[in-house]
Amino acid sequence: MKFKFSIAAAACVAALGLSAAVVKAEDGVLTVGATLSTTGPAAALGIPEKNALTLVPTEIGGLKVKLIVLDDAGDPTQATTNAKRLINDDKVDVILGSSTTPPTIAVSAVAFDAKVPHFGLGPMPVTPGKERYTVIMPQPVPLMAAGIFDHMKKSGVKTVGMIGFSDSWGDLWLGQFKAAADKYGLKLVADERYARADTSVTGQVLKLVAAKPDAVLVAASGTGAALPQSTLRERGYKGLIYQTHGAVSQDFIRIAGKAAEGVIMASGPDMLPEGQPDSALTKAPGLALVAAYEPKFGPRNQFAGHPWDAFEVLKRVVPVALKKAKPGTPEFREAIADALITEKDIGASQGVYNFTATDRYGVDERARIMLTVKDGKFELIK
Amino acid sequence: MTNRIALCLFAAIIILAPFVPGFPPFWIILLDNIGLAAIVAIGLVVLTGVGGLTSFGQAALAGFGAYSAAVLTTQYGWSPIATLPVALAVSALAALLLGFVTVRLAGHYLPLGTIAWGLALYYLFGQLELLGRHDGISSIPPLTVGSVSFHEPARLHAVIWGALLICGIATLNLLDSRVGRAIRSLRRGSTMAGAFGISASQAKLIVFVYAAVLAGLSGWLYAFFQSAVTPSPFNLNAGISYLFMAVVGGAGQVWGAIAGAFIITELRDVIQRVMPTLITDSALYEPIVFGVLLIVLLQVAPDGLWPLVQRILPEAKPRSIPTDAQPLTGRDMPVPRGSEILKVQDATKKFGGLTAVNAVNFGVKSGEIVALIGPNGAGKSTTFNLITGVLSLSSGAVSFAGQAISGIGQQRIAGLGIARTFQHVKLLPDMSVLENVALGGHLRGRKDLLSALIRTDRAEEAALFAEAARQITRVGLAEHMHKPAGSLALGQQRIVEIARALTMNPSLLLLDEPAAGLRHFEKGQLSELLSQLRSEGMSLLLVEHDMGFVMGLTDHIVVLDFGTKIAEGPPDVIRSHPAVLEAYLGGAAEPKQTSSTVAGGAEA
Amino acid sequence: MDLTILLFLVQDGITNGAIYALLGFALVLVFAVTRIIFIPQGEFVAYGALTYAMLQGGHVPGTAYLLPIFAFVALLFDLYAERSRITGTFLLRQGVEKIVVPLALLLAARELAGVSTIASLVLTVAIVSALGPHLYRIAFQPLADRSVLVLLIAAVGTHLALMGLGLVFFGAEGQKADALTDFSVDLGPLPVSGQNIAVYAATVLLIAGLYWFFERTVQGKALRATAVNRLGARLVGIRTKGTGKIALALAAGIGAVSGVLLAPMTTIYYDTGFVIGLKGFVAAIIGGLASYPLTAAAALAVGLIESFSSFFASDFKEVIVFTLLIPVLLVRSFASKHTDEED
Repeated sequence: MKFKFSIAAAACVAALGLSAAVVKAEDGVLTVGATLSTTGPAAALGIPEKNALTLVPTEIGGLKVKLIVLDDAGDPTQATTNAKRLINDDKVDVILGSSTTPPTIAVSAVAFDAKVPHFGLGPMPVTPGKERYTVIMPQPVPLMAAGIFDHMKKSGVKTVGMIGFSDSWGDLWLGQFKAAADKYGLKLVADERYARADTSVTGQVLKLVAAKPDAVLVAASGTGAALPQSTLRERGYKGLIYQTHGAVSQDFIRIAGKAAEGVIMASGPDMLPEGQPDSALTKAPGLALVAAYEPKFGPRNQFAGHPWDAFEVLKRVVPVALKKAKPGTPEFREAIADALITEKDIGASQGVYNFTATDRYGVDERARIMLTVKDGKFELIK
Repeated sequence: MTNRIALCLFAAIIILAPFVPGFPPFWIILLDNIGLAAIVAIGLVVLTGVGGLTSFGQAALAGFGAYSAAVLTTQYGWSPIATLPVALAVSALAALLLGFVTVRLAGHYLPLGTIAWGLALYYLFGQLELLGRHDGISSIPPLTVGSVSFHEPARLHAVIWGALLICGIATLNLLDSRVGRAIRSLRRGSTMAGAFGISASQAKLIVFVYAAVLAGLSGWLYAFFQSAVTPSPFNLNAGISYLFMAVVGGAGQVWGAIAGAFIITELRDVIQRVMPTLITDSALYEPIVFGVLLIVLLQVAPDGLWPLVQRILPEAKPRSIPTDAQPLTGRDMPVPRGSEILKVQDATKKFGGLTAVNAVNFGVKSGEIVALIGPNGAGKSTTFNLITGVLSLSSGAVSFAGQAISGIGQQRIAGLGIARTFQHVKLLPDMSVLENVALGGHLRGRKDLLSALIRTDRAEEAALFAEAARQITRVGLAEHMHKPAGSLALGQQRIVEIARALTMNPSLLLLDEPAAGLRHFEKGQLSELLSQLRSEGMSLLLVEHDMGFVMGLTDHIVVLDFGTKIAEGPPDVIRSHPAVLEAYLGGAAEPKQTSSTVAGGAEA
Repeated sequence: MDLTILLFLVQDGITNGAIYALLGFALVLVFAVTRIIFIPQGEFVAYGALTYAMLQGGHVPGTAYLLPIFAFVALLFDLYAERSRITGTFLLRQGVEKIVVPLALLLAARELAGVSTIASLVLTVAIVSALGPHLYRIAFQPLADRSVLVLLIAAVGTHLALMGLGLVFFGAEGQKADALTDFSVDLGPLPVSGQNIAVYAATVLLIAGLYWFFERTVQGKALRATAVNRLGARLVGIRTKGTGKIALALAAGIGAVSGVLLAPMTTIYYDTGFVIGLKGFVAAIIGGLASYPLTAAAALAVGLIESFSSFFASDFKEVIVFTLLIPVLLVRSFASKHTDEED
């Protein structure tokens, strides 16, 4: 009886062994792990990110880059498991991910515990005291919101209706609006929510229209942002419609069609590097990304910029860290965390990064452009 | 007991594994994921595999445990361990409320109902400010008890698997108890359970709350394991995943839950590891492969994988029958011998426009055997169901020992000492004959859920099993006592039902076609047994088609045809009664008095 | 809230409700005939919508390639099951059913992609409904006699696999198709589009069609007989395997039609179907998984409640829609004296 269960236990351990082949750190190799939401509800973010990772340099500072990409399906538990696997088994020097806020928070917690530098690809709140190893690639919402609110103020907008995803993204923008509204003399007259998979937003839009706001702000992402855009126009809303940088994509124009005309969007600079002055530090990396991405994967994508930029940053910090220690060692990981603060003006496709001990987003206005859609194409608002 | 020792050994190996030098740290994480899932899956084993109630909502219930821990530690500064009772109580309370709504639902509504509230709760978690909305609550402090911190992975691992061990043992205890047998009887429907005084809805609620407490415990542990809580681990997909584990492992057993949690977690991990070496862009294909493998697994092993493992393991030792057990209390006959114990007055049952039983009158005297005969569809089984409270009377009355029993419900009728068998055998085929028969003694025991979990019910259990064994021996099936009931011949299964009814210690025994499927000499034995019961003062009412059997045994015969009583009297009067001959044979000849059945076959 | 808004909300609710009703019918149908609680119904809707959108855009959808693959696997299953008694006619029938027809549809999709709206519509319904029987053959037929629970788990597995395939074929971003027609009439302040009318017409036609099928055709009666008593149906010579395939073909067809109707009205993603399907489930459950008229009424109620709650409390819309079921279930559980005998 006891014997048979010892067999069972042995079989279990053997099965674990099949799944866990522990890797020894190799010399001269920079191991980068990523956990992305390539399936599940956030796949529209994770897939372009994964695509971009096929385009990043294979060598940095003389080190061969070894890249391991895992899928977490947007689930924080899976993201935690992935992060622990990457850190414990694959001995990564740097960890990337995940694609949306909740799993990014989860990865950040694991990275802090294990003291591994972490590049968040989804926006996340920074916990004071636990920020040393995490930097966040996407623009912080307040920065992007400032661009939108500025534009509202200049256009004489006084009242705003909001419609957003019923998820972290919607919450983030609503919170930001409430925090900054007074400063720009804006008033929230309606606050509606919807889900990406909803077949109709008629109810919400009717309420928005009835509140007669001067402008509507849609806090959604990807093609999901198109449904309120077109429903608002169908229901005869004539005011300004603002969209967040989560919505900026060729797919948005494809789905929204004529309704997209005249929309005002805050965007990362990587959506239109062509229109930037040559002096902009974001131009060259942006053009390089577009040139690499578009032939292989179709129209350029906002989210592809984040992992690409993580490598832009790595190109700067790894050589600095290499002077102190060899990859695969805790000293090397500490050195990267230090270099993230000491290196300044790191130009990337989505912005110019200047991380400090407390500012883990590290970007300024250079990480934001304002776009509109004219004749089915994005155009820069000067 | 061996199962418990095995579980302890297994858990001990897993708990100590991280202390083996060179044990990969990531395995601890995987094992923790398995452990956390297995705790929920064990609850599902009892709920779904044993009780037959399918729930997709276990993940949402785990959410109650997790959020309780998160809110109380981060916002109210409670010490982590102090949140445990609250977490369990909140989960139990939620389950009680949801269970009150859902467990009454019949069959397929139940799983769908759980989908509905599982989703609603998930969405609700994401909407409440208190719970941190979509981002959830992070920075949960590590689990500490006094000055001992369980932040260290190997320590938390020991806590998780320790909890799993406790849940596993408690569940084994539960399944091997009076309450456990009541839960196991649920799968055979509430009629059978009710016939032995088991309240199906109460048993369902108990098992539902039990499973929820396990889920809540898993959620509570999860909060400290993850040190953050968000809505997504508690959504429908997670609920589905737990159900996968229970079904793939083998939904009836504790080991199945552990095996299932292991297989599903490992399957995902192995796919994640192996796929990238086979194709590029593998992440996109992982869910497809997972879904396909799941279907393949089901087709290869529809009963789950654990039963396959079990086949190669040596058979468990049969339960030993205690010889020194305290005898159960008996029952005095409610009326003196020879006076009327059961009285059926103008009993009428209408199903829509059809009158199945029409103003039937008859009585049973104490210490008498009365037979209810008639062609198929005459209303005999319906009359049985009216007496035992399975069906309610359209009009008329039934009284037992002078007390009106119509409308007081199946369980109370059983409590008065009316036991029965069923025309279509209602045994639990995978349970042993002994355990099936012990179910009949449900009302003679008192021990509740709690004493089952901590095993203070042993003396009563011993008495119940001793009584069950005595009744099995009495009906002549002693050699089959430890076999699964489903492995016996149909005729023998009917006899098992008689033993089960006798274990209730009834004063009135209702037998529905007891002799069907028996061989000639077995009928003789049965006849002897029933005569003996009569001589002990028991009253019997039986439906039977075998005229030879009926004529030789009974004191009084009631003949029904088309729901109406057409004749009544002692056997020799009925034998030549013209109306009976008319009903049976169109008046052509006397009914045969051989052992052949007159109007065989099953009544619909 | 004024009258105009009320009218808009009612119209929106009825339109969505009609779609949920179609889904509810398919679920009731599949459950009655096969005892499968058919979670993947939503995938048929998504496949229908996305296939239609791609064909309309001049692309060959992945589903056109999936069909021959599914058919081929189903063929292998059948050849293995019948290995000892393979005859010429059997091979011929199998060949036509599982090789010729799927390849013909693939060819048609390659030739006719982007040609006309009607061609896209017909092809979509043909391709997606042809997937149904093969799916039944592969995933469910070997488990046909198993418990409802096992079938349910198989259904969930199928749902995961189909959704994963959807992501591979159609990508993560949503698609939208052009409307069938630009036609629109004004009913007072309320514009009613041709698309709306098409949705209502399709729902009514399908109700009528299902009624006719079940009441007037031999196959329909066989399906009903199987639904009532599986063993009995087999005893009188109805091939229950065949009825399962027909049920899934019908369900897939209904799903495809719903998808085609939805595609011009909203953005459809590879995973949209699941949530829409769940709302169809709510309707089907209220209908007791048995009654078509009750399901239709419940579906309209779900659509209306959803529409009104998205106006009044959009944040809690999902909570409201799914919680709504609980009082209904409660009423049902107290009202019915039905006991849950073993299945």
